[in-house]
Amino acid sequence: MKTTMKYKLTVICTLVMGMSSLMMAQDTPQLSDPEIASVAVVANQIDVDYGQVALKRSHNKEVKDFANRMIEDHNAVIKQAVALVTKLGVTPKDNAMSQSLMSQSKETLKKLNSVSSNDFDKTYIDNEVAYHEAVIGAVKNVLIPQAQNSELKDLLEAVLPALEAHLGHAKMAQGKISK
Amino acid sequence: MQTHKSLVSKYLLILAVLISFLVVLVGFKSPEDAYKPTRHTVTIFKMKFNPENLVVNKGDTVVWINKDFYQHDVTELTSKKWTSKPFNQGESWSKVITEDIKYYCDLHKVMKGNITIAK
Repeated sequence: MKTTMKYKLTVICTLVMGMSSLMMAQDTPQLSDPEIASVAVVANQIDVDYGQVALKRSHNKEVKDFANRMIEDHNAVIKQAVALVTKLGVTPKDNAMSQSLMSQSKETLKKLNSVSSNDFDKTYIDNEVAYHEAVIGAVKNVLIPQAQNSELKDLLEAVLPALEAHLGHAKMAQGKISK
Repeated sequence: MQTHKSLVSKYLLILAVLISFLVVLVGFKSPEDAYKPTRHTVTIFKMKFNPENLVVNKGDTVVWINKDFYQHDVTELTSKKWTSKPFNQGESWSKVITEDIKYYCDLHKVMKGNITIAK
């Protein structure tokens, strides 16, 4: 129980730190469209990776269904983003924000792979709630306002309701697992 | 030799018979003839059923069109009595409505809608 609480706090702290650095980016040079495209692809790929671990480790149908949905939907966003950058002739550009997301995800993946079987479902779903909350904040407050290309902005705006639906779905699953 | 007055009376009589015949025809129309079922459209876009609440007449058809790039389905809410199964962007699914319905997307469980039969 203590370990779970400690992990939850670590996730929240890491995400808050990540979000702070994202917000600070507004004061420093803004993200270019190729950098925003990179962040969008990385952020979606991270949740696909978490979902793959859940399919491997969970025995709970609700959790597995949720993980499958995350894999399907986030892959659909990646497909749209790749199609858009191809159409625009833009190459996604690696940047501090996507690197920060990647390094945080490595830590989370390590945790998801090592937590005990009994704690896995709760750890995964708690992380999904925290991760979607953080990504929604970043898309709403950083990526959409900074996107210059209207089609890129449209894509980010189309992704937002899905992220919010995923968060609602994750909270429903969280409620059932906590009982 | 018919007078002008009797000719008018004859035409009036024929007219009255025709009107009566039409009235009888209308009176014998079946209920199916009286109401033609309508098709209603629910658009699925940005993770919402639009409109979320729809009032239809019994026997009307509702068509759900998926305009999102995510898969969606239309599933009866209370006991999953029926489902459309997942369908992709640009695809649609329809159902004849015979009772009040509460439905949701089983893939994205926060998406919900209602169809009510007009009283």
